[in-house]
Amino acid sequence: MTELAPRTPAELTELLRARPGRVRLVGGGSRQDRLPPRGAAVVVSLRGLDGIERLEPGDQTCTVGPGLPRAELDAALHPVGLELPCGGDGTLGGLFAHDPVGAMTAGGSSPRSLLLGLDGVLADGTPWKSGARVVKSVAGFDVHKLLVGSNGRLFAAVRLHLRLRPRPRAEAWFRLDGLDVGAAAERFLALRSLAVPPRELHLDRDARGCAIVGRFTGRATFVCERLRALALPEARPFAQLHLEPTPGGEVLAGIVLASQVAALLAAVPGRFLLRGDGRFELATADADATDAALLQLPRFGAEACIVRGAPARRGHGTPLDAGARRLLEGLRQALDPDGVFV
Amino acid sequence: MLRRVPPLERDLVRLLGAPRVLSQPDALLAWECDGFTVHRSRPRAVVLPETTAEVQAVVRLLHAARVPFVPRGAGTCLSGGPTAGGETVVLDLARMRRVLQISTADLFAVVQPGVVNLDLTAAVRHLGLHYAPDPSSQSVCTIGGNLAENSGGPHCFKYGMTTDHVLGALVVLPDGELARLGGPAGTRPPHGLDLPGLFCGSEGTFGIATEITVRLCRDPQSVRTLLFPFAAMRDACRTVSDIVGAGVVPAALEILDQATIRAVEASVYRAGYPLEAKAVLLVELDGPTEVTAEEAAEVRAFAQQNGALRIEEATDAAERARLWKGRKGAFGAMGRLATDLYVLDGVVPRTRLEEALERITAIGARHGVVLNNVFHAGDGNLHPNISFDGRDPDATARTIAAGHEILRVCVELGGSITGEHGVGSEKLDHIGMMFTATDLAVMARVRAVFDRDGLCNPGKALPQRAACAEVAKWPQMVARVLGEPEAGR
Ligand SMILES: Cc1cc2nc3c(=O)[nH]c(=O)nc-3n(C[C@H](O)[C@H](O)[C@H](O)COP(=O)(O)OP(=O)(O)OC[C@H]3O[C@@H](n4cnc5c(N)ncnc54)[C@H](O)[C@@H]3O)c2cc1C
Repeated sequence: MTELAPRTPAELTELLRARPGRVRLVGGGSRQDRLPPRGAAVVVSLRGLDGIERLEPGDQTCTVGPGLPRAELDAALHPVGLELPCGGDGTLGGLFAHDPVGAMTAGGSSPRSLLLGLDGVLADGTPWKSGARVVKSVAGFDVHKLLVGSNGRLFAAVRLHLRLRPRPRAEAWFRLDGLDVGAAAERFLALRSLAVPPRELHLDRDARGCAIVGRFTGRATFVCERLRALALPEARPFAQLHLEPTPGGEVLAGIVLASQVAALLAAVPGRFLLRGDGRFELATADADATDAALLQLPRFGAEACIVRGAPARRGHGTPLDAGARRLLEGLRQALDPDGVFV
Repeated sequence: MLRRVPPLERDLVRLLGAPRVLSQPDALLAWECDGFTVHRSRPRAVVLPETTAEVQAVVRLLHAARVPFVPRGAGTCLSGGPTAGGETVVLDLARMRRVLQISTADLFAVVQPGVVNLDLTAAVRHLGLHYAPDPSSQSVCTIGGNLAENSGGPHCFKYGMTTDHVLGALVVLPDGELARLGGPAGTRPPHGLDLPGLFCGSEGTFGIATEITVRLCRDPQSVRTLLFPFAAMRDACRTVSDIVGAGVVPAALEILDQATIRAVEASVYRAGYPLEAKAVLLVELDGPTEVTAEEAAEVRAFAQQNGALRIEEATDAAERARLWKGRKGAFGAMGRLATDLYVLDGVVPRTRLEEALERITAIGARHGVVLNNVFHAGDGNLHPNISFDGRDPDATARTIAAGHEILRVCVELGGSITGEHGVGSEKLDHIGMMFTATDLAVMARVRAVFDRDGLCNPGKALPQRAACAEVAKWPQMVARVLGEPEAGR
């Protein structure tokens, strides 16, 4: 397996200009088991583009290389009282391009809302940029928004301009266990629609029943008062963002309206993990159960695709709107006409 | 005298009926410009569709005839975005003003594009909800225009821009096909891209949004509005830095300079701002009562440390409305100072605000223009406003030259030529300060995915060789005044 590891944007540009054939862009490589197979493509690791080029605490912005591990950015932000307020791990390029977590709560910060701009390189080695380094700019089209969820198939991002936020002064986790589907869905909906919802909210269904887990953040007075007023028992942090497939099983990732969760859960069996913004993962017993779920989901206004399972099945999902599909195909054709990035 | 109706207009009348197709030159006067009055041009015709199907039918007809068209909301854009060239048909969406769905469980609304921003909040207020993005023009501007411009407003420091509140849109693409981008459950499924994010801010060049799904927010438990006059602009800016540096995230942080204060106080927007102040800082905090109480105490302390001349806090809704009246009416008040007002919209990193303002003042003095500043201090989004007499070519030339230099300063300081008003036709000459020809070519490729034939709002947002002469008039004028080649060409 060939793996190339440019250390600068210029090296990546040169590498792509040399037309290496099909290319799979990877960050830390931790999400490759969630993507369709790469075939014989050359692996280009962006792990070497790992600098924090600029960190402006006063402006609450920074510029980083895509290969920077999230943990390293967090370590740099901690002493200046800032954070990147979204979930996800691995390298920052991978986090934004794969967008596995999204916002942890309704209307919360997400990779989409924190990406102010980027410098990118097209498959033919053309360097370009979009967006800006400042927290507000509407100059030019927001092409950088296409990074989110592109899984490295449109262009390589070589520099990310990010928005940061003050680290909350206090936080408290809570957990409600042993709920049935109806009670869990109801509690989830109620917490999610508070004027200040929990910063993180999860509904976790396993064989034993449902749990609601979350985290309030803010001033100490507020955080303590919230748990008390809502009768929420304090708990340990919850770190599970993804489901692992059971042997022979698959995992679907999707989005659903919170009001449809109870009906959805009643209709589809299996371990289910839902976050406050309506993103979910569903572990199915096997491919047949996945296909049955994919047929059911549109009834609840939900959309999903296979993220874990046989490589050839990954990426298949509920049908997309025909007009949107036309645009997705057009964008891919426009930015990578030779289909270099796989 | 009978006027011969050209075939295209006849076909439009067949689709919509005569009262909803305007093509007599006199009837088109109201559509000859937007809030950027320097650039005027009457369209070929204006149509007033009421449904997605009508928009689709009109677009199909125009596409088949290769006639350019422009969607238009309320026409409050400040960058010439909806101003149409002489061959262009305007689709005025003002009649598409129905709120189609409100979900209190999932906190979203689906609206037609002509719904006025403030009317949406009015429609959900009884439910304890509101629509957060609040451009100062919110009593007039439409959600469709907000989407196309990615509009901001005083409260976007905490709540984000329009893009952060748009979940999806039904779009009539420029060839008449329909595309559903995102939806109430989210802007993209895991096997899709953020198409609403890309569409937002496309300035009417990617198609016509006929249904827009937006997020609704719960009303905060408490709101505290404070006003701090200062003897120096520097002190106001430092207070902002202290507030932000302490991790307080106010809903709004707005500054008005002395010239603006005086204009406001001499107008119907009088708010009782002290005339002797060199700057006033308006801070709004919202959230749980105990939180805003703590934050208000911190904010007051910072203002005092930086020498606030006094502290005023609204005690009820009427007081709050008064404190905001001057800010919200600032543009209107400045409009009284001269026949024309050029509203700039540069952004600088917040830490460079003081420096930027000093340089802007110097530029104004050098060009001898009347310059006021009112700005979203939390975001570093400056609105230097130049009052001038558009009938005077010399005054216009000095205004253009000063504006150009100001935007160059913003870019030099690491910022942007526009924070919320868009490029439109006004900043085609400035966009090259931020982007290379290659960057713009990539954007043009993306635009062509939506509009292969370049019929939808041509000559806006990106410099374009093919721009029709009318639309290109303003950049050419800029180039003449500045003696510079047009950017990106
Ligand atoms: C006094 C004043 C204060 C202002 N304050 C602010 C402010 O605080 N923040 C801010 O961001 N802006 C502000 N603006 C600018 C302006 O109000 C915004 O840009 C607003 O979003 C424009 O909305 P509109 O309905 O008037 O759109 P229009 O001016 O009619 O059109 C704007 C653009 O949107 C396109 N468009 C309109 N509808 C659609 C649609 N359905 N689909 C696709 N494209 C469409 C048009 O082609 C055009 O390019 C202000 C303007 C004024 C005059």
